[in-house]
Amino acid sequence: MNAPSANASNGHSVSASKSDHPEFFQVRVLRQDQPGGDCYWQRYRVRYESDMNVISVLQRIAAQGVTMDGRAVAPVAWDCNCLEEICGACTMVINGRVRQACSALVDRLLADNPQEIELRPMTKFPVVRDLVVDRSRLFRALQRVRAWIDVDGYQDQGAGPRVSREDQEQAYPLSQCMSCGCCLEACPQYTKIEVLQQAGESAAEAQARTEAAYDHGFMGAHAISQAVLFNTHPTGQMAASQRLEQLTAEGGIQVCGNAQNCVAVCPKQIPLTTSIARAGRAVTVWAWKKWFDR
Amino acid sequence: MANVSPADSSSQPFLARHEFLIRRLHSLSGLVPVGAYMVVHLLTNASVLESPAAFQRNVYGIHSLGRLLPVVEWVFIFIPILFHAIIGVAIIRGGLPNHGSYPYARNIRYSLQRASGIVAFFFIAWHVFHMHGWFHADWWLKTVATPLAGAQFKAFNATSTAGSAIQQHWLVSVFYAIGILACVFHLANGIWTMGITWGVWVGPIAQRRAAAVCTAGGIALAAVGLGALGGMATVDVEKAKQVEDRMFHHKLEAGEVPNDSHKRTDGDHKDDGQPADMARK
Ligand code: SF4
Ligand code: SF4
Ligand code: FES
Repeated sequence: MNAPSANASNGHSVSASKSDHPEFFQVRVLRQDQPGGDCYWQRYRVRYESDMNVISVLQRIAAQGVTMDGRAVAPVAWDCNCLEEICGACTMVINGRVRQACSALVDRLLADNPQEIELRPMTKFPVVRDLVVDRSRLFRALQRVRAWIDVDGYQDQGAGPRVSREDQEQAYPLSQCMSCGCCLEACPQYTKIEVLQQAGESAAEAQARTEAAYDHGFMGAHAISQAVLFNTHPTGQMAASQRLEQLTAEGGIQVCGNAQNCVAVCPKQIPLTTSIARAGRAVTVWAWKKWFDR
Repeated sequence: MANVSPADSSSQPFLARHEFLIRRLHSLSGLVPVGAYMVVHLLTNASVLESPAAFQRNVYGIHSLGRLLPVVEWVFIFIPILFHAIIGVAIIRGGLPNHGSYPYARNIRYSLQRASGIVAFFFIAWHVFHMHGWFHADWWLKTVATPLAGAQFKAFNATSTAGSAIQQHWLVSVFYAIGILACVFHLANGIWTMGITWGVWVGPIAQRRAAAVCTAGGIALAAVGLGALGGMATVDVEKAKQVEDRMFHHKLEAGEVPNDSHKRTDGDHKDDGQPADMARK
């Protein structure tokens, strides 16, 4: 997964000659009509074209509008945006592994499994419809760790402090996180939390209940890594203890079980487990101070 | 600016409020005292490979703590193990192993850490019953523990009783081997994850090196543990008993040990009917 998608696809299309691909291939999609509804599999037959990715497969399925056995069905819903693996919107579980649909190339998928391509929504987030999930817990976790830098006002405050080259090199990779949720989907310690709006409950009430439930759950590797990022920034450091406080609150860093799947699946190769260990060291020192400095 | 103060902390249940502290204590208790105790325990037992008398000497050393021994055992062994086990079960329940979909080595170790913890828990429970019978009350030992093949270890006949307990059936050795390996893996892998949790080894290279050291330590400890088991499984029980009895009578004459029937194989007839406390005089 090192090569950007464009290179990978070019490299592959050369080797994929006309003869070693099928005329049609099968796609199996796990569908769900509404939040909290039942899910069901549906199969589609898609004509092979060169250089397809999963998004273009989904476009063909929407254009066809029929399943493999010829039944007319509503098109499969999915999310996408940048189409170059930088927004994270198209994240789904493809052939059992979480990744971005836009950078999942059909030639590669068929090389692994010529029978069919399997598409499922992520399993750790509430399904909105078909392959579209609600990742708001991911963003809520970023709020929890204050994954931003506070500004005091909009007047010119002069040049900020200098950031050493070393710190820049440590921070830059972490800043590439696109909030896709792969690290959370693959994490055995991150379990699904789904709160459904009840009859007679207002949307705002349901939202409050949802957020409360999210705040009891594990924040996840991405949020720990962002806390580390903003705690290395000279201005961000000013809120460092608030972030550390959140990292040690319920659902904080202590929930991590060191399975290290997060770092293995992160499409941005963010050194998440290094961040986790760094944050672990920071909270060790911080908790010691908190208990014994007073 | 979003004001984020997750849930009013006073309304949260105790375990949730102190999740960080409890997890860190769980992590620490696995190393000291539980892990450290296990290392000492296996090394002590491996002394049987030197000679039956050497192991017996070590056991006398431990029992020279006298009445302090139970206190030490509870504070440094039983309570920490129970704490580690109970919190461990809570941790296992909070996770969702997925090594099927993501079969990476470290993820498999994540699952194995949980599996080995469960095996270790049942093994240790059975092992303490097998050797010590869990409770020392006479009625329990007579009516429950001994009939169920428990409480076989006698401290003043250490080598012969441990040896015969292991030699009862070949399955006993198999269970012990599985149990020891589960405990050793759990400790070695636990130390590795502990180093990440506490921030001792941070970068990937350091983590890899630490993994190598933990693996080497684990293999060495497994060798010690299996060596101890092999020693107990092959020791000549009759000969060991003769040596132990001679050692006991020496020490008894020198007034170094109490005439405690609970700690001897055939001490029973000497103080039949007397409460254990009297016999300790
Ligand atoms: S850390 Fe990586 S896997 Fe996780 S959300 Fe960010 S980009 Fe995605
Ligand atoms: S290292 Fe921690 S955060 Fe990453 S996958 Fe494992 S348990 Fe989850
Ligand atoms: S559409 Fe943005 S990552 Fe796939």
